[in-house]
Amino acid sequence: MSDLFSLLSVGSSSMSAQNSGIAIATNNVANVNTEGYSKERVGDVASGTPVRLQDNLLTGQIQTAAGSLAMSQAFADALASLETGMVGGGATVDEQIANLFSKAGQASAAPTDSVSRDAVVAAARDLVAGIQRRAAAVAQARKDANTRIGDNAAQATALAKQLAAANAAVAKTQSPAALDQRDKVAKQLGELVGGKARVDHDGQMRYVLDGGAVLVDGIHAATLAATPDAATGNTKLEVVNGAARRDVTSAIGGGKIGADLKFRDQNVAQASGKLDQLAFDVTSSVNAVHTANAGLDGVSGRPMFTPVAQVAGAASAMAVDPALLADSKLLALSAPGAGPGDNTGALAMFSLATQNVATGGTTLGESALGIVSDVAQSSANAKGDVTRDGLVTDNLAGLRDSLAGVDTQEELTNLARFEHASTAMGKFVTTIDGMLGSLINSL
Amino acid sequence: MRITGNRLIDLSSASTTKAQSSVGTVSAQLSSGLRVTTPSDDPAAWLAAQRTKVRQALSQGTGAAVATSRDRLTVTDNSLAQIGDIVSQIQTLAVQGSSDTYNANNRAGLGAEVHGLFLAALDSANVQGNDGEFLLGGNASVTAPFDAGGVYHGDAAVRSVPGNASLTAGVTISGSSLTAAHGVDVMPLLSRVATALSNNDMPTLLAALPDLTTAVKQISLARSQGGAAMNALDQTTAARTVLEQDMTAAISRYTEVDSVQAASDLAKASQSLEVSRAVASHIISLLAPST
Repeated sequence: MSDLFSLLSVGSSSMSAQNSGIAIATNNVANVNTEGYSKERVGDVASGTPVRLQDNLLTGQIQTAAGSLAMSQAFADALASLETGMVGGGATVDEQIANLFSKAGQASAAPTDSVSRDAVVAAARDLVAGIQRRAAAVAQARKDANTRIGDNAAQATALAKQLAAANAAVAKTQSPAALDQRDKVAKQLGELVGGKARVDHDGQMRYVLDGGAVLVDGIHAATLAATPDAATGNTKLEVVNGAARRDVTSAIGGGKIGADLKFRDQNVAQASGKLDQLAFDVTSSVNAVHTANAGLDGVSGRPMFTPVAQVAGAASAMAVDPALLADSKLLALSAPGAGPGDNTGALAMFSLATQNVATGGTTLGESALGIVSDVAQSSANAKGDVTRDGLVTDNLAGLRDSLAGVDTQEELTNLARFEHASTAMGKFVTTIDGMLGSLINSL
Repeated sequence: MRITGNRLIDLSSASTTKAQSSVGTVSAQLSSGLRVTTPSDDPAAWLAAQRTKVRQALSQGTGAAVATSRDRLTVTDNSLAQIGDIVSQIQTLAVQGSSDTYNANNRAGLGAEVHGLFLAALDSANVQGNDGEFLLGGNASVTAPFDAGGVYHGDAAVRSVPGNASLTAGVTISGSSLTAAHGVDVMPLLSRVATALSNNDMPTLLAALPDLTTAVKQISLARSQGGAAMNALDQTTAARTVLEQDMTAAISRYTEVDSVQAASDLAKASQSLEVSRAVASHIISLLAPST
């Protein structure tokens, strides 16, 4: 008799387990399209507790890959924008430099011709406008990068708080949904700041930025503060934890923020510096020729471009000499004392096109080409990185899906299996119950 | 590896998107004719194209200078030709006037005619370009090089302009070629002949006859130098034309689409898109009963 009661108990437990299975399968199907959801299975049969299928190593890889992809994509987007600014809107700077020297060559055939002289001055004015436009595009790129860094830092701070809250929820409930939410937030944080999330023995997730600064420590979240750096004019980033502040500007090397920092501090800084150097070199070398020659009035010593004292800021400060702009007769196309029909100055200016007068031992045209070429090469590499990181992310998504993704057909099969098992157990209990009844009645 | 229904849909969706993107890219290339629309599309090709464009721009400057010089040489040569004709006419009139059959009145009439021819020669010698530059003035080209008496006030400078690889020298003719530095002072000689005829000054007239012969040769020599310069400029232009055609072809090769290749790529991309769509449709229909 006692065995029959045991069997009833077994039947009851089994029915409970099958019902848990039904509930879990139903929950899996309900979350088939929920981002970051990890499939659940019946764990402890007796209690019916669900087990979340996931792999910590794989989860970490996915977070890292998400950070890399976000960084590549943001870096490629920023470079594409800068590239458009450098080559968009008409002739490129190298073409404008060539045009200036070409017009000087043209004027060498008619140095007293006002039309030819005006064309040289117009080409100089166009070159200045072109260099200034590129300088403005580079400055705008820097400004945009700083704005994005600030916006993303604020978003990262909000996500850090969410991650701390998710840690608290995990500590409290250990529910799979809370764990999923925590992984999802960690992934989003990785997309913004790179770094790494690790789950320690206490079950709490800690989020550590590149360089070691801790952004989230269990249920405590620090702030990623973006503030203007008075020395550089750029936005700097600090991890603020109570009274402690740690500058992480140069440490963050991943995510969207890492991309913008790299873009701003490497590509934009390089383009800006080279553009200034080019403007300085053009001004210096052309002025050297221009001052050595004379205008139609026979006077020498006048510059074509307003002289600039230093390389820094030369691109935005560059200007055609106002007196020359007002009167092209001042254009120095003749050697001093040689007469207005002499074209020594025009020929000297034309020959600058092929002289290695730019810093670095190249021509001015090559120097201008190098600026765009560097941006273009970086942009092309970044596009390749996006493709590579996309493939890695996609592959990892496949691995995750293989392990933890919900397959509706599989879940429906499980549902049917659990339903049938539950029905069978019901019949089993009914049978045992009948046997018990018969036994009791026969006593 | 276990592949879920969602994963299958994701994969087929990604495949369709990629195929669609390829079709879009190739279609855009075909419609624009450009393979490289931004430098990062192909940095090496863009760089090569830009370098060629820079060379092309400089070549165009050279071409314009050569064309201007050629035009001016033509105008100068026409002037010298007119002066040469005039000197020949004056030489004929001077020979006539030196004849014993001519009296003072006859010579005065010839003198007036020669004076008119001298003025015409002076006009030709002070010929100007479209921009007002005096073509025979050397570097002193903003004022008339020959004064009313035919005295030259310009200099002996001749101009060089950029050629294809180096400077093309001597693309102008200086009025000094009509001065004693190269033989005789042609213009004053003409004035002197007119005066001698008008004044019935036979010794001066007779003395001028050999100078007139020298003047004709002198002008002819100046014209031949101009002809050589024009020939050099024409050769420069011919070479430059070929060079520019090559550069245009090179730019096209670097940045433009090979239409046959692009059409083939479009066919492949379209086929790939169709297959991707068919697969996606099949996957969805397979999964439909369970979803």
